[in-house]
Amino acid sequence: MTMTKNKKSTQVHSEYGVDSRYKTKKERELDSFALMQARLERMKNLPREEILRAKLLQLKLKMENYLKEPVYDKQNHFAHFLEMYVDALYLRRIEFAKDINVTPIFLSQVINSHREPSEEFILKLMIHSEKVFKNVGEFHKKIWYQIYFHEKLCNTMSNQDKWRPDIEKQVRHIEFASLTKK
Amino acid sequence: MTVVERLTGNIYQIEILPVENTDYKSLSKARYFFDWKEERKAEVYKLVMKGQQDILGLVSIERIPSEWRIHIRLLSVSKENSGKGKVFENIAGNLIAFVAKIAVVEFGALACVSLRPKSSIVQHYMKKYDMNITGMTLSLEVPEIINLINKYDHD
Repeated sequence: MTMTKNKKSTQVHSEYGVDSRYKTKKERELDSFALMQARLERMKNLPREEILRAKLLQLKLKMENYLKEPVYDKQNHFAHFLEMYVDALYLRRIEFAKDINVTPIFLSQVINSHREPSEEFILKLMIHSEKVFKNVGEFHKKIWYQIYFHEKLCNTMSNQDKWRPDIEKQVRHIEFASLTKK
Repeated sequence: MTVVERLTGNIYQIEILPVENTDYKSLSKARYFFDWKEERKAEVYKLVMKGQQDILGLVSIERIPSEWRIHIRLLSVSKENSGKGKVFENIAGNLIAFVAKIAVVEFGALACVSLRPKSSIVQHYMKKYDMNITGMTLSLEVPEIINLINKYDHD
């Protein structure tokens, strides 16, 4: 009878939520210390594959966050995410270049923003990450393309003062009023 | 991320957004079990169905970068989504997975989410979310944190 009551009460409590605010500074400090000790102990036994899974998941989530809204800054995000991806998986970038059949120079130039990635390069990257992410979690194969074009779009829109004056001179259009007369 | 309507099995897409100042008016203790106004200064998020206003669940967190950890201060589902007669499943799970995603983005392989439930429900949280226990504190780290994200983070 008592057991049934306890079980029922546990179910009810567990359903509405948790208040885990620290009541005192000391309580918080003790908690932090004990938790950190236990975590460091667990980390010692963490297999390398799990660390890699975490790094790749971090990259995937960062890419998804980047796509959520326009970002106007000077960083080359495609190159930055590519660098994170390659460095998480390979000790030497030349190995990745071999695996996707591009020259190390080409890869280095893309990572360092000295050249644009070719369409073939992005396709190879898509297939490579599709296979790698099978062990990590859901990965949308279009994400590398999305990053590339999202960045292009953001850069284009934020740099209008640079390209617009010249381009605008080359563009003529029919006045709207004359169109309606016709 | 989705929730499941218990009676029909229908699946609905949800989103988790920062709580705005105007939301606090509707966050009564009667419906959300705690005085959420006390959390105004904390980082608070609400779970709603995509495109809707009604808040189904809430979480407030504290980022602790020096420990690569995010601590869940307060978490609750709305009254009609608690207990046996709840309308939707997975509200708390989605909120914890959302916090886990922030932790992984911030801290990568060192990421940790912690919380301290009452002792009576510790076992429930450990079992349901595969949490580790240290003293009174439950935590999610790699690899369990990745599994939890993969379980809840899909459309």
